[in-house]
Amino acid sequence: MLPYNLYLFFVFVAIDVPSLKCGDVVHLSASESADKLEAVPSLSTAAVSSPVPAVDTGFSFSLLSSFPEDLEVSDYCSDLLHIFGQRYVAYVNCLVPAARPVKVCQSCYSTYGSVVEIYKNISSDQMGPGNVTCRDSLLRSDRLMLVYQLYSNLESLWEDSNCAQCVTGDLESLTNDTLYFMSTLNQTLTCFEKYQQGNHTELCKNCKSAYGTLNVLYSQMEKNSTLCIDIEDAMNMTRRLWSKNFNCSFPREENVPVIAVSSFMLFLPIIFYLSSFLHSEQKKRKLIHPRRAKSNTSLMNIQDKLS
Amino acid sequence: MANITKKVSWSSRGDDSGLTGEGTPLLNGSEIPKPSRQDPIRGRPKEIPHNEKLLSLKYESLDYDNIENQLFLEEERRMSPMGFRCLEISRWVICGLIGILTGLIACFIDIMVEKLAGYKYQVIKENIEKFTEVGGLSISLILWAVLNCAFVLVGGIMVAFFEPIAAGSGIPQIKCYLNGVKIPRVVRLKTLVVKVIGVICSVAGGLAVGKEGPMIHSGGVVAAGVSQGRSTSLKRDFKMFEYFRRDTEKRDFVSAGAAAGVSAAFGAPVGGVLFSLEEGASFWNQMLTWRIFFASMISTFTLNFFLSIYHGKPGDLSNPGLINFGRFESDSVAYYYYEIPLFMCMGALGGLLGALFNSLNYWLTIFRIRYVHRPCLQVMEALLVAAVTAAVSFTMIYFSNDCQPLGPERNEEYSLQLFCADGEYNSMATAFFNTPERSVRSLFHYQPGSYNPMTLGLFTLTYFFLACWTYGLAVSAGVFIPSLLIGAAWGRLCGILLASFTPTSPIWADPGKYALIGAAAQLGGIVRMTLSLTVIMVEATGNVTYGLPIMLVLMIAKIVGDYFQEGLYDIHIKLQSVPFLHWEAPATSHWLTAREVMSSPVTCFNRIEKVGTIVDVLSNTSTNHNGFPVVVQVLDSDEPAKLCGLILRSQLIVLLKHKVFVELARSRLSQRKLQLKDFRDAYPRFPPIQSIHVSQDERECMMDLTEFMNPTPYTVPQDTSLPRVFKLFRALGLRHLVVADDVNRVIGLVTRKDLARYHLGKHGLEELQLAQT
Repeated sequence: MLPYNLYLFFVFVAIDVPSLKCGDVVHLSASESADKLEAVPSLSTAAVSSPVPAVDTGFSFSLLSSFPEDLEVSDYCSDLLHIFGQRYVAYVNCLVPAARPVKVCQSCYSTYGSVVEIYKNISSDQMGPGNVTCRDSLLRSDRLMLVYQLYSNLESLWEDSNCAQCVTGDLESLTNDTLYFMSTLNQTLTCFEKYQQGNHTELCKNCKSAYGTLNVLYSQMEKNSTLCIDIEDAMNMTRRLWSKNFNCSFPREENVPVIAVSSFMLFLPIIFYLSSFLHSEQKKRKLIHPRRAKSNTSLMNIQDKLS
Repeated sequence: MANITKKVSWSSRGDDSGLTGEGTPLLNGSEIPKPSRQDPIRGRPKEIPHNEKLLSLKYESLDYDNIENQLFLEEERRMSPMGFRCLEISRWVICGLIGILTGLIACFIDIMVEKLAGYKYQVIKENIEKFTEVGGLSISLILWAVLNCAFVLVGGIMVAFFEPIAAGSGIPQIKCYLNGVKIPRVVRLKTLVVKVIGVICSVAGGLAVGKEGPMIHSGGVVAAGVSQGRSTSLKRDFKMFEYFRRDTEKRDFVSAGAAAGVSAAFGAPVGGVLFSLEEGASFWNQMLTWRIFFASMISTFTLNFFLSIYHGKPGDLSNPGLINFGRFESDSVAYYYYEIPLFMCMGALGGLLGALFNSLNYWLTIFRIRYVHRPCLQVMEALLVAAVTAAVSFTMIYFSNDCQPLGPERNEEYSLQLFCADGEYNSMATAFFNTPERSVRSLFHYQPGSYNPMTLGLFTLTYFFLACWTYGLAVSAGVFIPSLLIGAAWGRLCGILLASFTPTSPIWADPGKYALIGAAAQLGGIVRMTLSLTVIMVEATGNVTYGLPIMLVLMIAKIVGDYFQEGLYDIHIKLQSVPFLHWEAPATSHWLTAREVMSSPVTCFNRIEKVGTIVDVLSNTSTNHNGFPVVVQVLDSDEPAKLCGLILRSQLIVLLKHKVFVELARSRLSQRKLQLKDFRDAYPRFPPIQSIHVSQDERECMMDLTEFMNPTPYTVPQDTSLPRVFKLFRALGLRHLVVADDVNRVIGLVTRKDLARYHLGKHGLEELQLAQT
């Protein structure tokens, strides 16, 4: 038993080193890793007591047979892994079509919720059936830490997109603010559609109120920081439509008054400097002749010395 | 070949009328001006327009040299070793106080500017948004101009009517003070108040100015005030630090204050110490350096601490300096060896532009001194500049077509949309519609593509002229930030252009780096500081890897700039006719000897002198001599008097005030003996001689100067060369240097003005003229 334990010990040291290096990856501090080392015998006994792993569970690992049994991933864990994979694929499948125009929050929040759920199961340290925890075996048994990486990619996507602002905390539904914004947006877009044909000035005039309401709502939400990427993108697109496609921006039509006022102001200093040049008396300095030793400082003398 | 131009042609007749009656007495003669037949112009004062080749009479030297008279020796004997240790400790305490107070002032200025400018820009922004929709933007323009003018009016009136010395950045004045020139009223409390309010007003008023230069002056005033333990303006004496009431100690503390000011302004403690070193290095020792460093450190971290409280993150000490250049991301600051020549070219460009800036400002300043000298005119000029700044900025923004998408990080700023599409902002407005500090930061840090080359070019051009026009107005304002801003703008432009030439290599794509180098080049080209500026820039950006390029750039900017024109501060020192002593005597001046340099004849006092004579000499308005050699006449002989000491005007006045006459001392034995404390109490504002009443009887009394004079004044033989005399003055901080002959007779006196009048001009050695200003 002793050499075997020693072997396990080495395995744990080997996997702890990269995880420590990654810092925040698994939050494994030195004391924690010491705890882990103490936990080695119990875990190994658990591994030993578990039934022989099934080779034909749908995952085919060609090298698997070469390892001793108790290093193997338990049934329970590989089931979890399987489910994680399926949900992951579902989420990605949902994300990709929602990339443009961005609808990642609206359409995929529920699938994201399911991914989060299964990852929670994997990473929890509660014992599953058969006294198994999958956190160590699935998440940090190797340098690559694939499951963790995959999940953290999704997580950072979710954070970058700010979707949490638009979805309720339990990832069940969209917030009321978001729904309200969407409906306002729809009104505006309907208005755009209605007047799209023909003269755009007509559109600018008629849709102004709808567009204005939307703008006000948006800036309000910006202040409350309840914006997510969906809303931002929708607003950007609407603004681009409004400003670029329909050309409803404010025209620059006050050139004359602005130029007049500023050239008047530019003109003032010229008058000021001219008048002070002409009317102000020039400041004169009174020269004072210091007394020097006589005859020594005369120019003649200096030149004599020089020559 | 050195030849003297502008030499006042002196009488070369070998007349035998003795030493009296020769010309207008000025430096140390006692004669009343008397028109002379042979040389009629010398009799009446000649009037000329102000120019740079003058020395003003109103500036005097500091008494840096210790007067080791008997009183001083007595005091030193009385003092215990403990007393000296206490003095040393109180020096440290004072330095700590200087740091804290300077940091607090910096904090106050920063918060006030942020509040006032924020309020102003908010009002204008709302107004512009409203009028963009309904029309009438010219009203916004007028509103902007009026708000600017309102702020500048307050600042301008304060400066022009109450304390004109508070105008400008104050760095030239502090530089002169550290050089050993006593600039009247420069370290008064009133100056500090006017300076602080003035700088808040001018920055909030949207002028092209910064608040960093005035911080250095403020630090100097704080130091001069704290170290004296009293305020003459407030008439409060705290009875503290009485030992430090003399020029020697005060000047050391002022150098600490200036360092604390630099350190608070830029978050650069080491830069502050080096600034003091660079500007006042002739009197220096290690302990002083260490104390100054202490003051700087305390100052920057006081600012830090209070700003962290203000920003709601108490205890976060990572916010140093008024100007915060922000963090450069580590990947964007990488540079490669092949970029060094480019940086050096930018340095040369900075030197050229700096020389242009200085030349323009030089002509403008001469015009201002000659024609715009009345306070009301000065205020009006400042108002006009404020209005034009607003008008130009508005026009630039109005006609700019450079629209950029709003990013998430721009929320804190006052972005203007104007005619841009919704969700975009006017890029010109980030440069103009902002406080200059923020504009600098955005030029350094915004990602590539935030500015059009066109926008940057126009901005550089307008801001260059605006800043040049603004510096020298009667408002307190610094030139650091405008220079940085101009440089950052054209530097960024360079970066963008370079990146467009070489589209393949991505490392060129970061224009922020070029903005930094451009800013350094432009600032170096204008102010021509070297060592301290390098360290300040490195510390302010928090990036040591940029030490090499910044140093090279500043070096080249200085070399190129000096070829055309002096630094801005030197120009202003010259135009104020200050007798400033540079590092060394002008080259090619070794043939000049003390005999030619000195003033002669000298008004001397006998060791036991009649009070009437002293009062007459002191109250002679045509002479304002400060030092009088004391001579002793060998009794019953015709031998001329020999030098035995030197006494200062201030000492004589105190003596007259306390009526230390020989006769009185005999009659009233109980009279208290005069102590050094009595001289310190009168410091620094000695009463004028007119305020001292001396009765007819007292005029006949005698005064014994033996105890009070400096018994061992420095003397030189008359054949000493000018550079030697110069070195003595510069290294020892002398005020008077007696020229004696081989039998120790006084034949002349050299003062600072005698030395400062020689300078190397375009046509060899030139001589400056003395003038009343």
